[in-house]
Amino acid sequence: MKLDQAPSAGRCYPVARTEELIPRRIAQVQLLGREIALWRSDDGAVHAWENRCPHRGVRLSLGTNTGTELRCRYHGWRFNGDGRCTFIPSHPTQKPASTLRVGIYSTAVHSGLVWVSLDPEIAATTFLVREDPHAVTLRSVFVAAPAAAIAKSLSHGYRISAAPEAAATAVAVFDDLTLAAPAAGRAPGVTFFLQPVDVMRTVIHGLVSPAPDAHERLAVLRHHNTQLSLLRDALERTAAAP
Amino acid sequence: MIKLYDYELSGNCYKVRLLLAILSIPYERIELDFYPGREHKSAWFLAINPLGQLPVIDDEGFILRDAQSILIYLASQYDAAGAWCPRSDPALLARISMWLGFAENLTVTAGAARLHDTMFYDGDVDALRIQANALFRVLDEHLWFAEAQGEPWLCGGHPTIADVACFPYVMLSEEGGIPRLPYPAIQRWTDRVKRIPGFTPMSGIFPAADAPAG
Repeated sequence: MKLDQAPSAGRCYPVARTEELIPRRIAQVQLLGREIALWRSDDGAVHAWENRCPHRGVRLSLGTNTGTELRCRYHGWRFNGDGRCTFIPSHPTQKPASTLRVGIYSTAVHSGLVWVSLDPEIAATTFLVREDPHAVTLRSVFVAAPAAAIAKSLSHGYRISAAPEAAATAVAVFDDLTLAAPAAGRAPGVTFFLQPVDVMRTVIHGLVSPAPDAHERLAVLRHHNTQLSLLRDALERTAAAP
Repeated sequence: MIKLYDYELSGNCYKVRLLLAILSIPYERIELDFYPGREHKSAWFLAINPLGQLPVIDDEGFILRDAQSILIYLASQYDAAGAWCPRSDPALLARISMWLGFAENLTVTAGAARLHDTMFYDGDVDALRIQANALFRVLDEHLWFAEAQGEPWLCGGHPTIADVACFPYVMLSEEGGIPRLPYPAIQRWTDRVKRIPGFTPMSGIFPAADAPAG
């Protein structure tokens, strides 16, 4: 059983790469045990909602993004950008009660990632890292291990360069979910942001800066994907060991 | 007219219906009672397919079994543009063939886990799920790096029978207890497949929202 975890007070968390925000799509993500329906409306606003319809609890990510509203797959209830129910097909002439609304979270886009604050009192606005608009987002790697185990493993050092003679670089720990290996030589630095999916699972997001030259971009992406996959496999073997 | 020996809830039958719909090929369905009737193991059907498996097509007397082989035949025979199974590029043809083999691996893992959960088939469902997740990791990584190189499909810039072959048992995986939450590139790819002109759904696979105009 995967228990929900309480979010740390006043903090926001990465939940996805911005590439997930495809027009008229609803992405399904998870943070601290809470399932989230993530979507962008045609006006550009990013929405992170509890992934359940308040009517019968069906996942909203199964439904339709109309560009201005989400429409539930089950009974066709519609919800506007504020999460308020605007239309109930079985009662087409009635105005839905104002209490009928989806739970919504505060969102922000920063460093190529979508961030969410689970605390309704706090907007997702505080970031430890200054944004580099040219930074390249790595392939995010899903790991069946707790965030603390990944942070510990990364803090032991990380190979930022694929060059065979390159040794592991020291990794600075900003906080329990944010770590960075600085640029060295020709190898760009990398910042890691950990997304606690639930108590046992984590997504490693990464950002390379300064941006590599276009002809090196794919090789850099592959190098980091290999490094993070090796780290994942080692941690999952440890987790699976008796 | 093509006759399709069919079962509504079979992912392998669905992939044939999907390509028939995309290519706008008219056909006639002969529905078998796969579950619980096991009509695919009946004497009359074993005379058509001694393996006792669906789907089978009968195209004016040409009888063909095996979902992947049927996709090859339909695309080669009826896609005048040759886009769905292009044969001019040997490397591309080989890559498509590789993913058709991968689709069969999906059937015997994710598909078998679904048969276990929904139709009470025997099997070590935990092992099947582990094997399916290992395949999904390979698929997700392939799709992510294909996208990073500007190729949104399994084999290049146009969808092929490789995408049609792999789509059903990926999309039905949650019925076998295999969530797709850890696989964002797979999720984006399945949404792209749903927007292929002519796409048709099945039970458990919903259509996508229309893409915005323009």
